[in-house]
Amino acid sequence: MRVVIAEDLFLLREGLASLLKQHDFDIAEAVDNGPALLRALLGQRPDIAIVDVRLPPTYSDEGLRAALEARSQVPGLPILVLSQHVEQLYARELLADQAGGVGYLLKDRVFTDEQFIDALHTVARGGTVMDPEVVAKLLARPSNQKPVTRLTDREREVLALMAEGRSNSAIAQRLFVTEKAVSKHCTSIFAKLDLPPSDDDNRRVLAVLAYLNS
Amino acid sequence: MAPGIRPLHDGTMNALLATRPRRLPRWSWGVLLPLVMALSLTLWGFRYSTLVVVLLAVIISYTVPAVAADLLPIALINLGVHWLIGGVHLARSGTPVPASAAGGSSGVGGLISSYQSIAANPAYNSNGVHFVIFGAPTSATDMTTVAVIEATAGLAVVLFGLWLIPRTLGVHTGLVKRNSELSTRVQKLAATRVDAVDTAARELRRVERDLHDGAQARLVALGISLRATERLIKTNPDAAAALVAEARENSAKALAELRDLVRGINPPVLAERGLGDAIRALALDAQVATTVEIDLPGRPPAPVESAVYFAVAEILANAAKHADAGTVHILAAHSAGMLRIEVSDNGAGGADPALGTGLLGVERRLGTFDGILAVSSPPGGPTIVVIEVPCALSSPKTFSC
Repeated sequence: MRVVIAEDLFLLREGLASLLKQHDFDIAEAVDNGPALLRALLGQRPDIAIVDVRLPPTYSDEGLRAALEARSQVPGLPILVLSQHVEQLYARELLADQAGGVGYLLKDRVFTDEQFIDALHTVARGGTVMDPEVVAKLLARPSNQKPVTRLTDREREVLALMAEGRSNSAIAQRLFVTEKAVSKHCTSIFAKLDLPPSDDDNRRVLAVLAYLNS
Repeated sequence: MAPGIRPLHDGTMNALLATRPRRLPRWSWGVLLPLVMALSLTLWGFRYSTLVVVLLAVIISYTVPAVAADLLPIALINLGVHWLIGGVHLARSGTPVPASAAGGSSGVGGLISSYQSIAANPAYNSNGVHFVIFGAPTSATDMTTVAVIEATAGLAVVLFGLWLIPRTLGVHTGLVKRNSELSTRVQKLAATRVDAVDTAARELRRVERDLHDGAQARLVALGISLRATERLIKTNPDAAAALVAEARENSAKALAELRDLVRGINPPVLAERGLGDAIRALALDAQVATTVEIDLPGRPPAPVESAVYFAVAEILANAAKHADAGTVHILAAHSAGMLRIEVSDNGAGGADPALGTGLLGVERRLGTFDGILAVSSPPGGPTIVVIEVPCALSSPKTFSC
């Protein structure tokens, strides 16, 4: 799998590259600033890109902007955004095109390499991975409107894990239920959120989006 | 400010606004000036009084410019009156009167008799006003001509002095007003400077404490776990693995604490996106359903952005905590050099800023930038909090790759 890495800190960039090589990723290009990232994304068309939000030259949100710009030109270009902090605002911007293939994680999640690699595969497949912290903020927020209030507590739990990018089997493991039970919950969630039948990954993205907009 | 908005009772800015400089009514000067003039004539007598008044004006002009402006017409009127009285007296007497004939009584009668004697004195004629204008007179006829011209000149100077009074009064009130405004400004700057320094010191202490109790302690724990791991790694690999897991957990916690700390110092969204998006992010994270309407074509200066951001955060927290609000609406706009944020909620109202320290702190912080905070919160709601800070917006940052 071909990866583009955008990270301005040398140590972190090299650390990510060596971690990815260990897991049989192929580093197509590693860049350290916004303009170079956009060129790399459009030129290399990687299977997955790992992008730091804050990059030179302005050290604001160049990475995020480059990612959004690239995805507007190449819809669904899989990008996993990493940051020292997570914001619902950015999460929404990343998910707004509803094309899937998006991840948004805290940098510390790289420590847990199995989960991080899983997240990369999920995003590369067109799935959505949101950091548990984004999801936790959503759970803390009283949603007093819209279809999400129709979900049961269990269904909300499943949806939260879905937003974190977990597969049905991972969700089943986490909640100590069978995978069949999870898929039943999923069907119920999709129905309650009025999501038309389509391929499962896409519906998961839409469900997460409905959740974020609640 | 919208109608019905009540300013904070003990707000520094509002208190200062209430003590604006007041003008003295003009008629009071019309009474005061002739009084001063008569007093100066009575006390200083005749010969040196004009000189004294002018000298006084010069001295005072260095200390109290407003009063010096008033002294100019006084000095002129004083001079004119001398000439007038001297001239009238000369015309009546016609001939010089010996100095020995001068009376010594006090009061207005004494004043006039002293004029008579001095005007008639040859010593006066050799160094006084008559001499200055006409040279030493030699005969009674000459004295009459001198008297007429002198009285006319005296009248003209008096009239000119009177004409000047309203003009110098304008200068006087202008100077007094400016002076008073400047001292108000100095008082306010002194107060807000103290607030700013206090706030900064308090923030530094908080950061120090948070680092000391948080990240620093975690790093110490991390070092201890790593040392223990080092010892156990060969003899007891399972225990070592458990310690490494613990160490990793500690490092994650340290990161989380540092993240929270950074959020409290300079929120990342604010740094990356500016005030508009930072307020949007606040609204998304708020405990109450919050809508925003933002019209900011550029970014305010960084310190203003930061103060306003924390102000909005505090107000939102209050709405969730105390007002039991169901929805909050935030309006942010900039026009005519003024940044204005309005946060309204449909909660219970009755918020009294004097009771809580949160809003007072916010007001103090905004005061550093000449900003104001006003609260309208009748019992039963709604609560409207308005922030206004004078500032310019920088042009929006352009991004290109």
